[in-house]
Amino acid sequence: MIRLHRWLVTFVAIAFVAACSGNPPPAAGPDPTPFPGTPAAPPATPPPPPSRPPEPPRVPVEPSITADPLATMTPEEINQNSPLLPVFFLYDSDQLDDAARQVLSDNAKVLSRYASWVITIEGHCDERGTPEYNLALGDRRALAAKNFLLSLGVQADRIRTVSYGKEFPFDPGHDETAWSRNRRSHFMVVSK
Amino acid sequence: MTFRPTLIAGAVLGVLFAATPLPVPLSAVGPQDPPPPQRPTQLDLSMGGRGYQPRLGLPDFVVPSGDADLTAAARVVAEVLWADLDFEKEFYMIPRADSARIPPAATPLALPLQSWVQLGADFVLFGSVRRIGDRFEVDLRSIAARGRNPGSQEFGRQYQGCTIDNPRACAHYIADDFHKETRGLDGVAQTRLAFVSNRDGARLTGRPLNEPGNSKEIYISDYDGANQRRVTANQNLNIAPNWSPDARSLVYTSWESGFQDIYLIHPFGGGPRSRPAAGSDRMRNMLGAWSPDAQRIAFASNQGSERTDIWVVNRDGTGLRNLTPNTPNWMDNRPTWSPDGTKIAFTSDRSGTNQIYMMAADGTGVQRIISQQHSDAPTWSPLHYIAFTLGSGPGHDIAVFDLLKGEVRVLTDGAGSNGSPSVAPNGRHIAFTTTRWGREQIAIIDYPTGRNYRRITQAGTNTYPSWSPVPAR
Repeated sequence: MIRLHRWLVTFVAIAFVAACSGNPPPAAGPDPTPFPGTPAAPPATPPPPPSRPPEPPRVPVEPSITADPLATMTPEEINQNSPLLPVFFLYDSDQLDDAARQVLSDNAKVLSRYASWVITIEGHCDERGTPEYNLALGDRRALAAKNFLLSLGVQADRIRTVSYGKEFPFDPGHDETAWSRNRRSHFMVVSK
Repeated sequence: MTFRPTLIAGAVLGVLFAATPLPVPLSAVGPQDPPPPQRPTQLDLSMGGRGYQPRLGLPDFVVPSGDADLTAAARVVAEVLWADLDFEKEFYMIPRADSARIPPAATPLALPLQSWVQLGADFVLFGSVRRIGDRFEVDLRSIAARGRNPGSQEFGRQYQGCTIDNPRACAHYIADDFHKETRGLDGVAQTRLAFVSNRDGARLTGRPLNEPGNSKEIYISDYDGANQRRVTANQNLNIAPNWSPDARSLVYTSWESGFQDIYLIHPFGGGPRSRPAAGSDRMRNMLGAWSPDAQRIAFASNQGSERTDIWVVNRDGTGLRNLTPNTPNWMDNRPTWSPDGTKIAFTSDRSGTNQIYMMAADGTGVQRIISQQHSDAPTWSPLHYIAFTLGSGPGHDIAVFDLLKGEVRVLTDGAGSNGSPSVAPNGRHIAFTTTRWGREQIAIIDYPTGRNYRRITQAGTNTYPSWSPVPAR
């Protein structure tokens, strides 16, 4: 609050000084007629400029008063620790369970708050199953998440989908713990 | 089968190896018919019914000039020729380690035939090498070691145009010619493999550091795994290469635009890269396959819909159409063309599990052809079988569906997980992805025996093999 006070004082001071200084801006209208006897040539030395107020003391730029880091981060920074959480699936399935629907509802709220964000939903699979089949399954998982968001009112042109099949496992392990982490629809912010 | 006698004098078949990796033949002396189209059904594939397998010795080639560079190149030619002949199993090749102690002969007449007979040889391949300008010539003759007329020459041919810096290509050409002349066999020594590897491991452009995202690029190599080199460099995910019928172009799937799309490239020159299906984030395309007439590419696409369909497009980007348009709830995927280009096999889950179907190339006449617990990645061979991946995991096997008998037979032995088959153009070998040695690697086995596992790749993780046709001349 003290900082805000200083800003206000400085602002008022500048406004006060500006109000007392120099000439008012020229009004729109025909050029003023020169006084009779005024020499046609411009004066040899221009008149001295009006005295300028002293520069205000430098004040460092403050972070936004609302303290919302997401509003100023780049998409790359947002994706490092995204508010849009992934949803997970059972083996060979693109069905959303209750937990997934809850996560998607939360994601929809984030997307309505940041209405300019465009996202890509990536479908991923675990290492079982053939790579060819998993490319198509990943697409179905991404689309399942997208369609649920659409049903919650998120606009379609804000959501892209892509499948990575089993080409990008999040967990390189070979057990159900790893597999369950890899069966996901993953959210990436593309642009804001 | 005995060799038919071939005299060298007066009938010289020259081969000019140009600066490009693929050899271009000179016209032979005398009238030359175009080679007959491959008629694989005439090949007797059953090794048991073939009869005797001739036993062949192959010593180092003779280099009369003693030139050190030429001697080194000639040694590579002999070694690679031995391996190429051993690959097809038409002959029993006497191991060179066993025959190394036999003193070399300067001429065919000087061959110590008794020493070769003691190793079991029926014939000895005698080669001699001489420079001609900046190239060299291989003079190759097959000399009977025993039988009715030991010392007689059964085969003789001169191969010109070999270069010191590419002795492997020289050997591959000779091997295919030798197989064709002596066994009527279309060899594959001059073919190539394409596959996917993450061995360079670059980070995907723009992907957060705490996300997975090491690149996978397209690589090519000789059929035996030599000369592996990368042909894409876009630091993204690239998969599923597929060779064109002339073996000079590849279609592959890439995410470099942020979504799957198919790309055409020409690694040996021949034009800029193109995207014939013009994908977008509404139309995502993948798993392209060239038609045998090289005019069209079939692929899987999910143009904004829930399930993938089989699409086709002309190579110049015209004629884009959906071959399975009335299947909104089914996933149709991974197309492969019949050798005559009139049919397409593909996978579909319309029955509830992933199975393999066939349809005409215009999308009509869909019928199911394979019914197993889970089938994927069909690859139509030139020999009336379709190789595919069998099983729902966690381990898969390579299986073949015999189109004449209507039977499925498992080819791999259950070690590791095996999938994504691609068949050699003579139908006798299948490349595939396997985890039998740990991480995914490219391997080759023989058809129909399922034997002779060969490991092609070492570094990184390697997947999605594609076996090229015989390169066009």
